[in-house]
Amino acid sequence: MTAVVETEGLTKFYGGRRGLEDLDLEIRPGEVFGYLGPNGAGKTTTIRLLLDVIRPTRGRMTVLGSDPREAGVRSRIGYLPGELALEGRERAGDYLAFLGAVRGGVSRGRIAELAERLEADLAVPMGKLSKGNRQKVGLIQAFMHEPEFLILDEPTSGLDPLVQQEFLAMIREVRASGRTVLMSSHMLAEVEHVSDRVGIVRAGRLVAVEDVAALREKAVRQVEFHFDAPVPREAFENLPGVRDLRVEGAGVRCTIDGRPDALVKAAARFTVVHMVSAEPDLEEIFLTYYSDEEARHARAGVEEPA
Amino acid sequence: MPALVSKSLRDYRRALLGWTIGISAFFGLYLAYYPTIVSNSELYGQVALTKFPGAMRDLMGGLEDGFTSGPGYLQTLVYQLFGPMLFIMCAAVIGNRAIAQPEETGTLELTLTLPITRRRLVLERFAALALALLGVTTVTFLVVFGLALAVGMDVPADRILAGHTGVFLLALFFGTLCLTVGALTGRRGVALAVVGVVAVAGYVVETMGRDVDGVSWLRWISPFHYYLDGRPIQQGFPVWEYLVLAGAIVALVLTAIPAFDRRDVGV
Repeated sequence: MTAVVETEGLTKFYGGRRGLEDLDLEIRPGEVFGYLGPNGAGKTTTIRLLLDVIRPTRGRMTVLGSDPREAGVRSRIGYLPGELALEGRERAGDYLAFLGAVRGGVSRGRIAELAERLEADLAVPMGKLSKGNRQKVGLIQAFMHEPEFLILDEPTSGLDPLVQQEFLAMIREVRASGRTVLMSSHMLAEVEHVSDRVGIVRAGRLVAVEDVAALREKAVRQVEFHFDAPVPREAFENLPGVRDLRVEGAGVRCTIDGRPDALVKAAARFTVVHMVSAEPDLEEIFLTYYSDEEARHARAGVEEPA
Repeated sequence: MPALVSKSLRDYRRALLGWTIGISAFFGLYLAYYPTIVSNSELYGQVALTKFPGAMRDLMGGLEDGFTSGPGYLQTLVYQLFGPMLFIMCAAVIGNRAIAQPEETGTLELTLTLPITRRRLVLERFAALALALLGVTTVTFLVVFGLALAVGMDVPADRILAGHTGVFLLALFFGTLCLTVGALTGRRGVALAVVGVVAVAGYVVETMGRDVDGVSWLRWISPFHYYLDGRPIQQGFPVWEYLVLAGAIVALVLTAIPAFDRRDVGV
């Protein structure tokens, strides 16, 4: 199956300022791809390039198998801009009907159903929508024509937690129906539960693409065991992946990298009364990537001959 | 009607209503004074007008017919300067709403991601501009025609139609200029400035150029030349002049399309 997005050496400079450089990215059909990076890293630049709002300085790309300059392909895409601007006295519902008509027709019923799901009030004039409601209108227009490919730029900003849950459920439905999603965020926590893969972009460059499952495996986990009697420290020393070991009487605390297998087997020799394992903090790994990358760049800068 | 045309017209509705009322009120006010002016011809007649300095008379369109006659009054007070200027302002406002304004406020981004080519976007926004101005022109034509009859102004309907057609073309020219500069730059301030400078300079060059040799050669590039020089109110449709204006409008649209097609939007 051909990739939904394929870019090669995609580069965008705004005058002399780098927006994005040498992006090689592949988004596969049916996956949810989380596109992560701090503000100004190049996420929105990438998205705007894919939608032909801006033009690349060099490099090539295809979206759903065709050149983004072909307008027709855009009816198969749903897009939520990062900063959605809606204004005027037109009711949100009328605007949605207009967008739907241009994209080939969306029934009023479909729009009403989405509005009900997200609890959006479509009778409000667009200029008077609250930030949260504006984002809901943005989500409705992105989802309503059931596009093959959804591009969502910071979709959860401005949504309250309940609506966020509903939104994540909608993303899962899209994935279950075999369609593809690209969603950007500056926080991994927002996308980790729905993403299959995440790409990390920083200062205009893609620094890593990772499987979320693999990322979890790399995760640092805090583990705590409580036994019915004090245990010897030696039983837990030098286990693969175990770090920061602290043994205090009947309690053992440590962090583990990767699989907890050896630790569990060591603990099984005693009577375990209680065990705590914290969810891996992907945010932490994510930040580790960043700081490593930063450190490497800094070193390269120092070593570079003047 | 293409979706973007009808949608644009719906968005312009309020502004158009406002401008139509405003321009009609302006015309109404001036035409209502006509009987007073005619009955005081010793104050406003040809002899009185010769007291004006020559340059000022030029700026007011020469005043050859004075303004105590129907055509002279209509030409000098309505079709010479204020009428066209009001239409041009209206056209610039609508012209900016084609591209530059939605680009600056950010609403253009979502429009661009619709399955509509950029060329079609420019063409449909231009069509909306033309239809919008046509609407304002038609209503105000009926107002002027009705009032001219009511105050007993002796100007035939086809002359008023000729004058109004000229105003329409002139307004559409400036509206399209605004759209085109917006398509090139994405900045509504720049577009308004260009329209302002071309309108004022064009008017001054055309009116002063009649008597000042130094600038008379510039008259042919002034859009006002192709409206005023034909004297539509006095002489009827200046066909060639109007065709030049229409040609200039087409040229502007043909400039706007590739310029917008090539550009990064919203950066």
